[in-house]
Amino acid sequence: MTVTVQTRPSRVRAGRRPAGARHEARWGLAFVLPCFLLFLVFRFGPAVAGTLLGFFEYTIGDSPHFTGLDNFTRMMGDPVFWQALKVTVLYTVLYLPLSIGVSLGLALLVRRSFRGVRLFRSVFFLPVITSLVLAATIFTWLFSSSGPWGKLFGGSWLASPVLVIPALVIVSVWSRFGYGMLILLARLQDVPRELEEAALSDGAGPWQRFRYVVLPQLRPAVFFLLVIETTNSFQVFDLVYVMTGGGPARSSYTLVMDLYDQGFKNFDLGYASALGVALFVLTLFVALLQRLLMGRGK
Amino acid sequence: MTAQVNSSRAVRASYRALEPSRAGKVLRVVLLSVASVVTIFPFYAMVVLSLKPVAAVEFPGSLVPWPFDGGAYERVLGGGDLPVWTLNTLVYSLVSVVLVLVLASLAGYAFAKKRFPGKETMFWSFLAMVMVPYHVTLIPLFVLVASAGGVDTFWGLIVPTLANAQAVFLMRQFIAALPDELFEAARLDGASEWRIFMRIVLPLCKPILATLGLFVFLWHWNDFLWPLVVGKSTDMRTLTVGIAALQEQNVPLNVVLAGATVAFVPIFAAYLVGQRYLTEGVTMSGIKG
Repeated sequence: MTVTVQTRPSRVRAGRRPAGARHEARWGLAFVLPCFLLFLVFRFGPAVAGTLLGFFEYTIGDSPHFTGLDNFTRMMGDPVFWQALKVTVLYTVLYLPLSIGVSLGLALLVRRSFRGVRLFRSVFFLPVITSLVLAATIFTWLFSSSGPWGKLFGGSWLASPVLVIPALVIVSVWSRFGYGMLILLARLQDVPRELEEAALSDGAGPWQRFRYVVLPQLRPAVFFLLVIETTNSFQVFDLVYVMTGGGPARSSYTLVMDLYDQGFKNFDLGYASALGVALFVLTLFVALLQRLLMGRGK
Repeated sequence: MTAQVNSSRAVRASYRALEPSRAGKVLRVVLLSVASVVTIFPFYAMVVLSLKPVAAVEFPGSLVPWPFDGGAYERVLGGGDLPVWTLNTLVYSLVSVVLVLVLASLAGYAFAKKRFPGKETMFWSFLAMVMVPYHVTLIPLFVLVASAGGVDTFWGLIVPTLANAQAVFLMRQFIAALPDELFEAARLDGASEWRIFMRIVLPLCKPILATLGLFVFLWHWNDFLWPLVVGKSTDMRTLTVGIAALQEQNVPLNVVLAGATVAFVPIFAAYLVGQRYLTEGVTMSGIKG
């Protein structure tokens, strides 16, 4: 949900002839239809089919047959699914505070204008536009035992079952913090100066001004980021696929890796779809939970 | 008069009071410089290591730029698969940009300015789909494209990505803010609907088309999962898929990174040219990078 939507009440134009309205409707439909048809075929249809397919056993070239909840009961008894869920949740729990913290810190530092501030902002956005595959290739070396990180810590984090997730989190933070920084920066620049000046003249120090004046104003932006970044990290795939392939010994095996392997390696399309449904339910559940928690804190 | 001067002096004083102290300013620049070095370092390492001979990967010696060796570039650019992958990525990105912009501005214009039956239903179904994660649709989408013979074809790669709801919303939002009188006047002059779209709507949308075009280009250039499942043969890989394959096949690091550098250059160029549009796109509408 990244775009605000306002629907306007439809206006009734006085003196408009019915022929004109028909003409308008015809053209309106003609302009929307190409997009809408593509949407029906390639988004809406597959979304419905994907949900249904979760209740079937199906492989390419075979006809699907209905198996009820079999895929889901199988999932509940599958240690690989639980491992993937554990990895995905752990990754998200580490990633969220770190990425939002870094974004917030840097947004505060580049908030006021000074010589060179634009250059800093541009530099920080550069990783955002870089593909995760490129980031993965270079970070694989940085973390390897030949690279600086590996030398510093005496071994490769990507080969360690415990440290592999923090390593992936570091790469994700590097590649995403510039986005969060920009979102928060836009909000920070809208904080009325008078509010902070009033707090200052009441004798509030920098920390108090941040905590009681600036932070409350940032709340909607932080919530927006939280939702977007949670969804992103539940779907983490590119980095894992290129850097570790889910290893060592599945210690970085995420839900989408599981979905990919089931669908495109084992061609177990029904079960892979069921995993997709599980991912969707998980995402919705966490989004609702975040909404409740953030709403209550008001 | 004096009161005014005094108050403006007071404003300036308070302005200064909110600015960091001298020490604070120094600390700020130091922190930002450290963060910039950390941000840039991987790019630096990527370029320098791609210019090293095969065996020279041990840190720190490998990060000294001189002497360099262009062997990796000779290997990836001369005869290898990389030129084909670059071409594929260009086709995938550029064709998608043009088609998404056309489709989204047509639909956005209709949603913003026209009344027609089913408008609300269509609009809300677009909106609802933004919330369904891509991965729920991935398997059926692949089955659909595969059964229509779209595996390893450009249409199979491109067409399913054209249904871009975010682009439609953005165009609708922008066009809704344009005054109706512009279109009414042209209509009274007898201009056809098509002509109004081409001659009035599109030219007015230039800034938003630039922003959206850049984002669509980036999304496609950096896309990974969809090209990975649709492009099965080596000849149909995009750069991201190809580079991931090189990495998997234990191709020497300098060669992988030379490929990565080649893939990064157009992105960097697009960033230098269109940075303003990109950052505005993010801050105005929260488009995902």
